Amino acid sequence: MTRTRPPFLDGLAASLPIVMGYFPIAFSFGVAATQAGFTGLEAFALSLIIYAGASQFLALALLSSGAPVLVAAFTLIAMNLRHVLYGPALMREAGEGATRRHAWAWAWGLTDEVFGQALGALARGQRFSEPYMFGLGLGAYASWVSGTVVGAWAGGGALEGWPALNAGLGFMLPALFLALLLSILNRRQLPVIAVAGVVTVIGTLMISATSGILLGMLAGAVAGVARK
Amino acid sequence: MNWDLLTVALMAGAANWAFRALPILARMERVAASGWLGRFLASTGPAAIATLFVAAVLPSLTLDLARLLPVILGTLAVLAVWFTRKSVVLATLAGALAHGVTTWILG
Repeated sequence: MTRTRPPFLDGLAASLPIVMGYFPIAFSFGVAATQAGFTGLEAFALSLIIYAGASQFLALALLSSGAPVLVAAFTLIAMNLRHVLYGPALMREAGEGATRRHAWAWAWGLTDEVFGQALGALARGQRFSEPYMFGLGLGAYASWVSGTVVGAWAGGGALEGWPALNAGLGFMLPALFLALLLSILNRRQLPVIAVAGVVTVIGTLMISATSGILLGMLAGAVAGVARK
Repeated sequence: MNWDLLTVALMAGAANWAFRALPILARMERVAASGWLGRFLASTGPAAIATLFVAAVLPSLTLDLARLLPVILGTLAVLAVWFTRKSVVLATLAGALAHGVTTWILG
C-alpha cells in the first residue's frame, strides 16, 4: 500500500468527522457544566480526565444532586464497561502481526466513535498502525477538550438568547446514541436492545433516572446471556 | 476545585483507561469469547447505548407538542440520514439540526 503521508497524519485526517461531531457536544457539555454550577476548570478537568461523553453528563447530574462520591463513581464506571470489548475486537481485525507497544497510550482515545472509525478503516483494507491510532485519537480528544473549554468559557447564559440552537445542541447526544445504535444494530442484538429500552423506562418511572439507566443496561446484558 | 468531583473524575478516568487499554495489553482477543461472560460482554455495548438513548429522550415524551415534535423529527432525521449515508456523524448532526429547526419554527 503506497502512502502519500505519514500514518499519524492519516489518522488525524480520519478524525475530522469525529471532530465535527464532538466539538458541539463538548461545547454543550461545557455550557451544561457551568449551568450546573461548576467552574470552567472543573468542566475542563472532567473532559480531560474522564473523556467519555455520556458519563460526563451523568456526572454533572449526580454530583449536582448530591449523590455520594462512591455511588457516582461506580455509576460512571458501569456506564463505560462496554469499552472492554473494543480493544480485543480491534486487535482481532488488525491481525496477528499488529504491534501494540504503545497501546497503553493510544488506547485511552478508544471511544465509541474512534473504535468505529478504526474498525471501518481496517475493513476497507487499511493496515493497522499505531501512529494512525494516535492521530485518530488525538484529533478526537483535542476536539472534545477544546469544545468543553469553549463551552464553559461561553458560560451558562451563552445560549439563552438562542433557544433553537440550545435545543439542537441538547439533542446532539440522544442523536449520537441513536446513530451509534443503528451502526451496531443486527438481528441478534434486537432482544438486548428491546429489553434494555423497556427496563430503562420502567426503572426510570418507578425508581429514578439513574436506577433506570443501570437496570436497563444490566437487564439488556442479561438478556444477551440468555440468548442462544 | 470541587474535590468530590475530582475524586469521581479520577476513579472514572482510571476505569476508562483500564477498560480501553488493559484488554489490548492482555491480548484478550486470543481468549475465546464464548460462554456466558462473552455473551454478557458482547451485549453490554448495545444495551448501554439503547439505555442511554431511551433515558435521554424519555423526559421529552409528553403531550406537550412543543417538546415532543422536535424529538420526533430529530429522531426521524437521524434514521433517514443513517439509512441513506451510513454515517454516524452526519446522522447525529442531521438529528440535532432537525430538532433545533423544529424548535425554532414552533417558537
